[in-house]
Amino acid sequence: MKEAKRQAKGHRWWRLGLLTVVMLLVVAACGDDDAGTTTTAAEETTTTAAEETTTTAASATTEAPPVEGTAYKIGFVASETGPGSGLGVPEANTARMLAEQWAGGVTGPDGVHHSVEVIILDDESNADNGAALVTRLIEEDQVDVLVAGTLSGNALAMAPIAEEAMIAMISMASSRGIIESEGQTRPWLFKTPQDNQHSAAWQAEYLNSLGVTSVCYLYENGAYGQDTLNSAKQFFEPAGITIAFEGSFERTDTEFPIMTGAQASGCGAVVVGSIPPGSSSVTQAAREFLPDLPIIGGHGSCNSQYISLAPDAVEGTVLPCGKLLFADTLPDSDPQKANLLQYIADYTAFTGGEPISTFGGHAWDALMWAGEALSSLEENADLDARRAAIRDYVETEITDWPGTGGVFNISADDHLGLDYTGLGFVKVQDGGYINFPSSDW
Amino acid sequence: MTAPDFVAETPPVSARRRATLYGVVAFSGFVVLIGLLQQLAPGGFDISRLTGGVITFDTMVRIGILTTVVVGLNLLMGYAGQVSLGQAAFFGIGAYVSAILTTRADVLGIGAGLANQWWWPWLLIVGGMALAGGVAYLVGRPILKLHGHYLAMATLGLGIIIVIVFRENFGYSLGSRNITGGFDGLYGVPRLRIGSFDLWPVERYYYLVWLVAIVGIVLALNLVRSRSGRALRALHGNELAAETLGIDTARFKVRVLVISAMYASLAGSLFAHFRVAVSPGPFGFAASLELVVMAAVGGMASVWGAPFGVAAVLVVRELLRTHLGSLVGEAGGQQEVVAFGLMLVLIMIFMPEGVIARLKQATRRWRSE
Amino acid sequence: MLALIEKRTSRLALKAAGVLLVVAVIWLLGSRQNFGLQQYGQLVVAGIGTGAVYALVALGFVMVFTVTGIINFAQGAFVMLGALFTVTLYETPFTGEGRTGLIISALLAVVLTTVIGVVVERLTILPARNADPLTLIIITVGVYIAIQGLALIYWGHAGRTLPSFTTATGSDSIFRPWGLVIKAQTLWVLATMVLAFAVLSLFLDKTMLGKALRACSVNRDASRLMGINPSRMSAIAFGIAAALGAVAGIVLAPLTKPVYDMGLTIGLKGFVAAAMGGLISLPAAVGGGLLLGLVENLAAGVTKAGLRDVFAFIVLIAVLLRGRSRAGRFQ
Repeated sequence: MKEAKRQAKGHRWWRLGLLTVVMLLVVAACGDDDAGTTTTAAEETTTTAAEETTTTAASATTEAPPVEGTAYKIGFVASETGPGSGLGVPEANTARMLAEQWAGGVTGPDGVHHSVEVIILDDESNADNGAALVTRLIEEDQVDVLVAGTLSGNALAMAPIAEEAMIAMISMASSRGIIESEGQTRPWLFKTPQDNQHSAAWQAEYLNSLGVTSVCYLYENGAYGQDTLNSAKQFFEPAGITIAFEGSFERTDTEFPIMTGAQASGCGAVVVGSIPPGSSSVTQAAREFLPDLPIIGGHGSCNSQYISLAPDAVEGTVLPCGKLLFADTLPDSDPQKANLLQYIADYTAFTGGEPISTFGGHAWDALMWAGEALSSLEENADLDARRAAIRDYVETEITDWPGTGGVFNISADDHLGLDYTGLGFVKVQDGGYINFPSSDW
Repeated sequence: MTAPDFVAETPPVSARRRATLYGVVAFSGFVVLIGLLQQLAPGGFDISRLTGGVITFDTMVRIGILTTVVVGLNLLMGYAGQVSLGQAAFFGIGAYVSAILTTRADVLGIGAGLANQWWWPWLLIVGGMALAGGVAYLVGRPILKLHGHYLAMATLGLGIIIVIVFRENFGYSLGSRNITGGFDGLYGVPRLRIGSFDLWPVERYYYLVWLVAIVGIVLALNLVRSRSGRALRALHGNELAAETLGIDTARFKVRVLVISAMYASLAGSLFAHFRVAVSPGPFGFAASLELVVMAAVGGMASVWGAPFGVAAVLVVRELLRTHLGSLVGEAGGQQEVVAFGLMLVLIMIFMPEGVIARLKQATRRWRSE
Repeated sequence: MLALIEKRTSRLALKAAGVLLVVAVIWLLGSRQNFGLQQYGQLVVAGIGTGAVYALVALGFVMVFTVTGIINFAQGAFVMLGALFTVTLYETPFTGEGRTGLIISALLAVVLTTVIGVVVERLTILPARNADPLTLIIITVGVYIAIQGLALIYWGHAGRTLPSFTTATGSDSIFRPWGLVIKAQTLWVLATMVLAFAVLSLFLDKTMLGKALRACSVNRDASRLMGINPSRMSAIAFGIAAALGAVAGIVLAPLTKPVYDMGLTIGLKGFVAAAMGGLISLPAAVGGGLLLGLVENLAAGVTKAGLRDVFAFIVLIAVLLRGRSRAGRFQ
């Protein structure tokens, strides 16, 4: 009996060895796979930044004596894994790209040079993780400014922590509640994505031009979908449009029982509030059940996945989208055009041809504000003073600021600073997005 | 089936009491030490710096909160032999009761005179525990008359239903603000205070959280060593035999389920006052699974396993997050997840009785040498 | 005797009253949206389509549970692997174009997933075979987490597409009898489920290996005495479960957009379906799957999709509370 046990034990250790080897191989293989393409570890980024800074500083010594000031840190949290990863991955890629671009650091107006480190963390689409990471960034890493929150729920969980620590947090999630609480602007919070109200305003205008007065509203059962529905209710009614049917669905649904209700309601158009893959699936189902109705999407569908997942079904659908998707067709006079093209070129080069999405653009806008605010600071060793100065800078100086999401005009009353013209209107045609301005309706 | 081997090596009662007392004192001392280091140490020898940033003070508070949940779960799993796949929902009940009745007091018609009293949130903590216990009782009573994995399935269903209630807002909205905040959740939960003494900043809250956790552990140890505890162990060992000995197994199981739900709800309230924001995310099925994992890693048949299991899971995750990169060159969040899954498998294969059992073995060996 | 009869009739009456109540509630809620027979018919069609997938996954749960006593949380991962392997293989030029490409890819995907199922069992369940069932369940959770993580690394976070079986293109052919909308792929799902159930039942009934598996599920020690190796049976059960999961994933793929984390939801629903059947009976698992699909779709149709799972789990708890402990296995 004992003998058998010992044997079993020997067996076990042999297996442990095997499993460890397999595990190491797997992890190593994946590491190789990703090398130089999309994923770079936070540590990797930061060491590069630090090294580059020292070399820059060293080479600069030969020219002019530089004054090296406080090292600046930007805390960045996105949902790189979990349900939010479709949004979080392009955001984190953008952060890594900018970390590389800022490796040389910034020089303040007083001529003092500062290194800039972007600490990139993944909250796994979990609100509690997000809150813990933000606490860590504020207390342990002592960051100057936060760019955090891919999903609204996560950003809302992080927000009170930033407020309590009195540090500016720029959110990449879209819920209005992040920057406003009961009609009051939350002083330490900003966001870059357009409101769902902006999408709803476009949709209402387009529906009016079609002469449709009753719609079926199909939304994904999640924070985003629910918010689009609420925005639609706010904007459709004044425009004389009734929501004859509202139905929700899950991202992974295979059958769409809501289509039954939609059919029965006899509405004149379908409006979808969802992100891919849900928006592609539901559009496909809408085509099958309501083949004659026009389908209008929201700006959560503004990435290439929306089309690639159901190319036949989404052909001909229209939706409001950030101008990032059709930057090359914009007139040269458009104030955003230069920045948009720049971002597209940089992102494509950095990721080796990953498709552009507006979510990466939201991260770019947010990080650029943070970067601009940092380079405006005079040397000041007091962290709290720096954090306050950054907040003040973003609130007062981001005006007529052409970003990827629109031309921002931030004020004390509006910590987004966009109106609905920040979005454009597009049509899906021949498997791509084309500009579809109101003059063509 | 590896039933816990209590019978085989039971030292005399007085010696056991003394050992427990030493354990509690030593553990409390350790907790206080970390708290003091955080507050007082000159030049900073706090937990975060001592561990190279792996365990932050925030993590210590989270360990304390989750320990309270897992102590309850351990009673259920280790001593009553039942699994709950919906424990995070009981955790959520506490969090939501505290959050709703503080931040939505005006909407619900609760006067500011009442809602602004310092003891109001404390009352809600008790209320949340009562609610969670009541729900557990209603579900557990019919289910626990059945044998097998039925409780697991029922709690799984219950957990999912409760989270849907949170995010669908009971299907209603009151005025412009809905009660549970839907998917976005609620924020602006006030900090706890006693009279005018605020239990915040976090250095103060830490002591509250751990006080609750340690009292929870002591109560659980008492329960385990009481008459009911012996009944429970008999029940885990062999339900049929226990029944023939005249133990009302269903009643005992229901009682443990209710107690574990109350532990979870208490911790949930503390969590709401810690994060000051709640949303449905952290209370779903995945979170329930994670709690079961923590209980199992620590050792299901041991109350003391709870803090170690929680700490092991959280620390391993942080370690992977901070150090996996330097181990394999490059790693994003994705590799962490894989490594975490594999670690879990390895721990369960090589330490099926949990970390605490291994620690006990090691100390015994060290003592005998 | 009389009391027994009385008890039985009263129980029957209770059951009938319950069913009537459910029907009445559905009718009432449906009438608010002007639902007619056609609408209910449509919901039933959707319910059977969804339920067939759940049934396939549930069969996998039952296979593993009866033979090993483990609730295999990695079952959802097999569904995801089946779907995503097929997509990837189909996209490689090696498997060919069109329908033949689809068939070859699907077969290869099933084989691959089966191998993974067996390997998983050998590497993780075998070394811990003497552990508590609960420990083994947690091991399968770890396996699920690891596989999903690997899938995220390999396939990324974006959804994929697989052409429907009938047309071999993205848009499926649709039948429209009496104003209903029935997708050809839904019929494929249903047919696959029936076929898989029939083959599995025959296999367990008629073959030596199947009988050995059943013996193992009834009494492990006795079957060991009869020269059956329970450890090997466990590996075979995992292999069969993986294959069933992969098949479910493949037939499901054209209806959804396969993505690395699809396994959690579908695995959970499959588990619920199996649980409704008591986790030990193949026909009951199929019944549980179909019931779950119908409840979900009818509930979502007449109320909100968000509340769908509430109804699904209320039905689960009701079924559990029926409380008949089933004695036999593989009835």
